Amino acid sequence: MNILKIRGMPAALTAFAGLIIIFIVFGMIDPVVFRTANIQNLLRGMAIYLLIGIGQSFVLITGNIDLSIGSVVGMSAMVSATLMSRGVPVIPAMLITLACCLLVGVLNGLLVGRAKLPPFIATLGTMFMARGVAIMVNGNRNTGLISGETGISSESATTFRNFFYFGSTFGLFNTFWIAMVIFAVFFFILSKTRSGRHIYAIGSNVDAAKLSGVNVGATITKAYMVSAFCAFVVGLVRVAMTGMGFMEAGNMYEMFAVAAAVIGGISPMGGTGILLGTLAGASVWQTLENGLNMIGAQVGIQRLLIGAIVPLAVLIGVTFRRDSSIKLISKWFVPSNKN
Amino acid sequence: MGDYIVSMENIYKSFPGVKALDGVDFNLRAGEVLALLGENGAGKSTLMKILSGVYTRDAGEMSINGKPCGDISPKQAQELGVAIIHQELNMCRHLTVAENIFLGREKTRGDILLNSQMEAEAKRLLDNLKIDISPRQVVGDLPISKQQMVEIAKALSVNARVLIMDEPTSSLTAKEIDDLFRIIRELKQSGCGIVYISHRLEELQHITDRVTILRDGKYITSMNFNDTTIDEIITHMVGREITEKFPRLSCKKGKEIFSVSNLNAGRLVRDINFTLYEGEVVGFAGLIGAGRTELTRAIFGIDPKTGGEFMLDGKPIYINKPKDAIKAGVVLAPEDRKKDGLCTKLSIRQNLALPNLDILSSRFFGVVSKKKENELCKKAVESLKVKAHDINVDAANLSGGNQQKVVVGKWLARTSRVVMFDEPTRGIDVAAKVEIYNIINELKAQGVAVMIVSSEMPEILGISDRIIVMCDGRITGELIAENTTQNEVMTYATRFESKKSQLEETK
Ligand SMILES: Nc1ncnc2c1ncn2[C@@H]1O[C@H](COP(=O)(O)OP(=O)(O)OP(=O)(O)O)[C@@H](O)[C@H]1O
Ligand SMILES: [Mg+2]
Repeated sequence: MNILKIRGMPAALTAFAGLIIIFIVFGMIDPVVFRTANIQNLLRGMAIYLLIGIGQSFVLITGNIDLSIGSVVGMSAMVSATLMSRGVPVIPAMLITLACCLLVGVLNGLLVGRAKLPPFIATLGTMFMARGVAIMVNGNRNTGLISGETGISSESATTFRNFFYFGSTFGLFNTFWIAMVIFAVFFFILSKTRSGRHIYAIGSNVDAAKLSGVNVGATITKAYMVSAFCAFVVGLVRVAMTGMGFMEAGNMYEMFAVAAAVIGGISPMGGTGILLGTLAGASVWQTLENGLNMIGAQVGIQRLLIGAIVPLAVLIGVTFRRDSSIKLISKWFVPSNKN
Repeated sequence: MGDYIVSMENIYKSFPGVKALDGVDFNLRAGEVLALLGENGAGKSTLMKILSGVYTRDAGEMSINGKPCGDISPKQAQELGVAIIHQELNMCRHLTVAENIFLGREKTRGDILLNSQMEAEAKRLLDNLKIDISPRQVVGDLPISKQQMVEIAKALSVNARVLIMDEPTSSLTAKEIDDLFRIIRELKQSGCGIVYISHRLEELQHITDRVTILRDGKYITSMNFNDTTIDEIITHMVGREITEKFPRLSCKKGKEIFSVSNLNAGRLVRDINFTLYEGEVVGFAGLIGAGRTELTRAIFGIDPKTGGEFMLDGKPIYINKPKDAIKAGVVLAPEDRKKDGLCTKLSIRQNLALPNLDILSSRFFGVVSKKKENELCKKAVESLKVKAHDINVDAANLSGGNQQKVVVGKWLARTSRVVMFDEPTRGIDVAAKVEIYNIINELKAQGVAVMIVSSEMPEILGISDRIIVMCDGRITGELIAENTTQNEVMTYATRFESKKSQLEETK
C-alpha cells in the first residue's frame, strides 16, 4: 500500500525530512552533535516534548486546544514532590498525583464537551487553577529534596529518579523509552480504536458525528484526559530530574506542545494529523534547541529561530498537503501502479 | 389505524421567534413512498428531525412501530429503525467513505476497529447502489454528487424500517437519480416506509404513492398521488394558484456587454469563448462535473487562470481576485451556499450588507450607515420574500430555501453589469422559484447580462434565451432555447472527447 496515501503521512514525512536536514546541518557546524552522548541527551529531551505533544495532539484533532498542560505538569511535579518529601511512598504518591491530574482533564472535558464553552476560555481557566494548586500545595514554596529528612528513603528516591530520568536501558535513557511506550499505546488508540475514530470525526464535523450517534462530550473528555495523563508523566520526569518540585515547572509547555504538534502536521482546525507527525515535530523542536545550544547560540536568538520554525513548518506543510504536491512526491518516490 | 409504522399527532415545535410546527399530523405506512411537500420554511425538515431524534418536540404524540415514544436521541431513533438523509450534507470530510458510513456504529472487536470488514461491507453497499467509488477514498475529495450518494449509502446501511430523504436529489446527476429511484422501489418492495422531500415536483411521478402537504408549519392535507395533479399540489403548497412556472419576458437583444475569450483554468475550463448581450439570459447546461461551476469561479477570479481575456462594454478588464470582478460589475451567486455563499454565523442583515459595504459606508472612515443598510435589507427581503421574522437572526437558522434567497439577494443591491447565477434555485420551492425568475427577468430588462448555470433541464429551457452546453470543461454546443429540445441539449452535454484524441493531446 502506498504510504503517502495514509492521511497525515505526507506532512509527518516532511517534518522528518526537515529533522534530518537540521540534524545534519548542526552536525556539520559542530561534530559533537553526532556524538553518542549528545544523541542520548537529545532523545531524552525530545521525550518530554513528545509526551506533552501527544496530549495536545489528541485535543487538537478534536478541534479544541488544551492550555492547561503546562500547569498540570507543574501541579504533577509539586503534588508528587510534596508528598514524597513528606514521606509518602513513591507508588501512593504517584497514584494520588495521577488522580489530581486526571481531575483537571475531566474538568476540561466537562467544560468543553458538555457545557460547550470555547476551549480557549475553559482551559485558560483551568490553566490558572492548576498552577494555583501547584503553588499552594507546599505552602507557596518549592519543595525540599524528596529524599530529605522527612522524605522517602534515599534508596527509593534513587530508584524513582533512575526510573524516570537518569537510568538507561539498551543504551538510551529510560525517559525516552517511557515516552516511546506511551507513544505506542496512544498511537494505537488513535489509529485503531473506536475512540480514536470518534476523535477524528468530531474534529472533522461535530454535527455529523453527533447525528451519527457519537457521544461527543465523552469523547472530548477522553481526549483531555489523555492530555492530562501525559502532563502527569512529564511532571514526574521533572521531579526525577531535579529531585524536588518547582512551582514553575512546565511553564509554557502547553505552547511547546502546540508547536510540536503543528510542526508535525496536526491541524489546529481538527480532523487531521497523525501522532507520527507529533514525534517528528517534537524531534525537530528538540534538535534545534540542542543544536543551537551546542553551537553556543544565546537564549534570545534561540527563541527567535525556534519560533520562526513553527509558521515555516506549517507553511511548508500546507504547500505539501496540496493535492498536486502530494502527487509530485508520489511521482518522485513511488512507482505508479496504473498503466 | 394499525398499519402505520409512524404516526405523529398534533406536533408543536417553536424556535426563538418562530413557530416552525403548529399542530401537525403525519402518518406513514410500511411499503409506501410518501412525498412530504411544502414551501421553504413550511417545517418539513423540522418535522423529520423530530422523527429522527435531532430535535425534541414541544408537544404532541409520536409512535414508531405502534409504540409511543417520548423524546428520543438520534441513536435511539436509529435503533428504532429510523434513518435520515439530511438536507444539508453531513459528512466528516477528513474521513474515508467507509469510515463515514460506519461512523457511530463501527464494527469492533473489543474497542479495536475491524477496518477491512467495514471496508468490505461498504464496498458491497456501494456496489449494490452502483456507485463507483472506493470505500477508502477521503470524502472531502469527492464531488458533491458523490458525497450525496455516500450519505444515501450510509442511511441504507442501517437496515432502516423508515427512511427519510430530505432533498436527496438536489445535487445528483440524472443517472444517479435513476439509480436512487431504483433503490427506492426495491426498498419499498421490502416493506420499508419512505418519506421523500423534494422541490423537484416533476420527479414525484416516478416513485410517489401519497403526498402530505404542509404550509407555514400547519398540516394542510394528505392525498393519494394518483387522485391529484401537480397543479392541485402546488395550489395546496402555496395557498394560491401559480399560472406560469417559467415567466418569460421577451427583450430585444441589444449590444454586446461581456465577452470571454480563450479562457483556460485547469482541466475543467478549457478554451472557453462566449459573449453575453444586453437583453438576454444565457443558460449554461451540462452534466454535473462539466466544469460550469469552475467556469464561473474562474471568471469571478476565485481560481487561478492560465490564460484568457475579458472584455466588458468594449474595454478589456483584468480580474485576478473577486474584488476586481465586483469593482468591474461582474458578480457571482455561488452554488454551495453554506460554504461560499453565506456567513452562517452572521445575521441576514450582515450577510446582505457584506458585499455592499462600499456603498453603505461613508467615504472617509468607513462607518456603515445604519439607515442605508436598513433600506437595502428591507428591499432585498421584500423583493425576494425571505421568510424570517427578523433580519437580525443568524443566517444559519433559515430554512435551506430562504438561505438561497439571501445569497441571491446580496448581489441585487448593487448595479452590476454581469450577474452569474450558479444553480440559483437549488432547494427552492415553486413559488420562490418564480420570484427568482422574475428577478432574473428584471435584470434582463435593465440591460444586465445574465448567465445561469443550472442542472435542471426544464429550468434551463424555460428561462434562458440562449443555451451554451458544456461537457468535460469545453463548450460543446450553443443553442437557441426556443428551437431546441431536452434531447438535443443532452446530446451536446454528453459529447465527450474520445479517449484517442485525449491521448494525442497529452503527447
Ligand atoms: N435551528 C433553528 N433555529 C431557529 N429557527 C429554525 C431552526 N430550524 C428551522 N428554523 C425555522 O423553522 C421554520 C421551518 O424550517 P424548516 O427547515 O423545517 O423548513 P423546510 O420546510 O424544511 O424548508 P426548505 O424547503 O427550505 O428546506 C423556518 O422558519 C426556519 O427559519
Ligand atoms: Mg428543509
